[in-house]
Amino acid sequence: MAEVSVSNVSKSFGATRAVRDLSLTIADGEFVALLGPTGAGKTTTLRLVAGLEKPESGTITIGGLDATHAPPAARDVTFVFQQYSLYPHLTVFENLAFPLRSPTRRTPEEDIRRIVNEVATMLRIETKLGNKATQLSGGQMQRVAIGRALVRRPAIALMDEPLSSLDAKLRSDLRVELKRIQRELRTTILYVTHDQMEAMTMADRIGVLEGGRLVQVGTPREIYENPVSAYVASRLGQPAINLIPRAILGESAVPPETATIGIRTEHMRLLRRSKLRMTSQGDLAATVRRVEHLGDQNHLHLAIGEHEMVMLADPTLELQNGEIVDLSFVNPLFFNSEGARIS
Amino acid sequence: MNARSDSEGPARNVANMTPDRVARTVRGLSDKAIAWLFIGPTMLLLLAINLFPLIWTIQLSFTNYRANRPNAPILNIGLDHYRAILTDPDIWLRMQATAHFVFWTIALQTIIGFALAYLVDRKFRGHGFWTTLILVPMMLSPAVVGNFWTFLYQPQIGLFNYIVGFFANVPPGSFKMLGDVTLSPWAIIIVDTWMWTPYVMLICLAGLRSIPDYIYEAAEVDRASNWRQFISITLPMCMPFIMLAVLFRGIENFKMFDMVNLLTSGGPGSTTELASITLKRAAFEAWRTGYSSAFAIILFVAVFGLANIYVKTLNKVKAR
Repeated sequence: MAEVSVSNVSKSFGATRAVRDLSLTIADGEFVALLGPTGAGKTTTLRLVAGLEKPESGTITIGGLDATHAPPAARDVTFVFQQYSLYPHLTVFENLAFPLRSPTRRTPEEDIRRIVNEVATMLRIETKLGNKATQLSGGQMQRVAIGRALVRRPAIALMDEPLSSLDAKLRSDLRVELKRIQRELRTTILYVTHDQMEAMTMADRIGVLEGGRLVQVGTPREIYENPVSAYVASRLGQPAINLIPRAILGESAVPPETATIGIRTEHMRLLRRSKLRMTSQGDLAATVRRVEHLGDQNHLHLAIGEHEMVMLADPTLELQNGEIVDLSFVNPLFFNSEGARIS
Repeated sequence: MNARSDSEGPARNVANMTPDRVARTVRGLSDKAIAWLFIGPTMLLLLAINLFPLIWTIQLSFTNYRANRPNAPILNIGLDHYRAILTDPDIWLRMQATAHFVFWTIALQTIIGFALAYLVDRKFRGHGFWTTLILVPMMLSPAVVGNFWTFLYQPQIGLFNYIVGFFANVPPGSFKMLGDVTLSPWAIIIVDTWMWTPYVMLICLAGLRSIPDYIYEAAEVDRASNWRQFISITLPMCMPFIMLAVLFRGIENFKMFDMVNLLTSGGPGSTTELASITLKRAAFEAWRTGYSSAFAIILFVAVFGLANIYVKTLNKVKAR
């Protein structure tokens, strides 16, 4: 386990610039998640750290040693792939023991047995050790793949969307377990995902990527509450943040260069119209389009003029489609015409 | 295409144009009946050209029938032919020659074919061109190959003799690949290997291409040496393909006739007389139709049995 740092690294594939001038330091024992849509350069960054790709410029150090041009085997890294990358004709035990049996390691056989059993117990696959890799379910296979990345106690474990091929229930189970194991072993993990839930729940810090650039790094809370741009703001939050043009608010008190206003779904307050209450200054009239009942909460789909918005609402709230309501906003985020945040 | 255009497209037109009488009959048929209606012609054809000759051959194998004497009385002689064939030491020599041919062609073709596939799989400059070039022998007719190699093996002017002579430092005319008792079995093995190794290579190449890159990447990160990657990833994941190639080549070579007949016609003596050549001689030179039918059935049962055992093993390997 060690600190890993990537500085000013760039990588292109032909005309596509996959990673541009990326710098990131992952502290010892830290869990960092890289978040971004497909094509943002997350996987390429991971493969650069693993040594499966070579950077055009910049340096990568692992545990204080320059590893920029070292082959994957010479770096103390492990990799979990998105696909089930097990050795299909080997048993679960042999798959887990595979990294320990490499000639550069020469781990004694009894140590191998002990370590594999420990990791298997931690991942709850200890009863499957004798099975062939192909006789496992998807969730079990991915547990084995994660186990294989942990048996060696690497300087850093690199994980490329390891849970994305699993169903929702398994994914949330494994998410919790992976975080527990990472805490127990104090493993340094760089984790790639496009699932904000995974990033929010597991990561100590999140790095948001846009077009090969790292646009913001911070704790999940910082990223959620203080996004540097409209792009970052829309990466986190489910349903996504409402981005509405300034014109909708009329001449209210907003910073002068504001082009877009971001309002999180939980930052809206709703007032029912009644004959007794006068409309107050700054309130907006909106039409209820649709109400989604999720049990613990309601998603209200509202329209302000042409503009659709989604709002979290009290599940007990009874509203009719077409009803007109008044809205007020709490903690709106202001963005300029480039999408950058104005504080 | 959506459901709407399906129901209002050409299918609807055809349905509208079908005469009422026909439409009523068809409407009365069950799905199963319609299915039989469609596969019926194919089934009939298969029965006529596959099953009927087989049954007729079995029937003939119990008689003394000779095709060159159609008017002679046909006597039922029971299992006499089978007994004669299975106790004939000459036949066992022919079977031995066949086994020798099959074993060595498979061994050489599998090893060379897999090695070639392994090399061609690496994306070097012009690998497409070389792959195509390697495939050429397989596309030639066996008749062409037979004549072609008769020239190559010619002791005085043959290229094969010249090259071997050059490297082994012996005069090219000092050995005859096709006329020598010890060399001729190898002569036909060399030609068959030359012709069919590309086929094995093609199947192995499909196997190699089916192994995803990330498995190798995982192994690389896991610090597995190239040799270990080959032993624990490439070979086992390719094994079902290799075994399939062996099956195809085995069945084909058990029945080998055309090329060997052109090269040596079974000679010198009967050193390269494979089972199918013996069969052809018994059937169309000696005109012992009943006898050769019995022999054909024995060969068929042997190949069928071996292939079945083999396929069972193959399935076991695949299931692993």
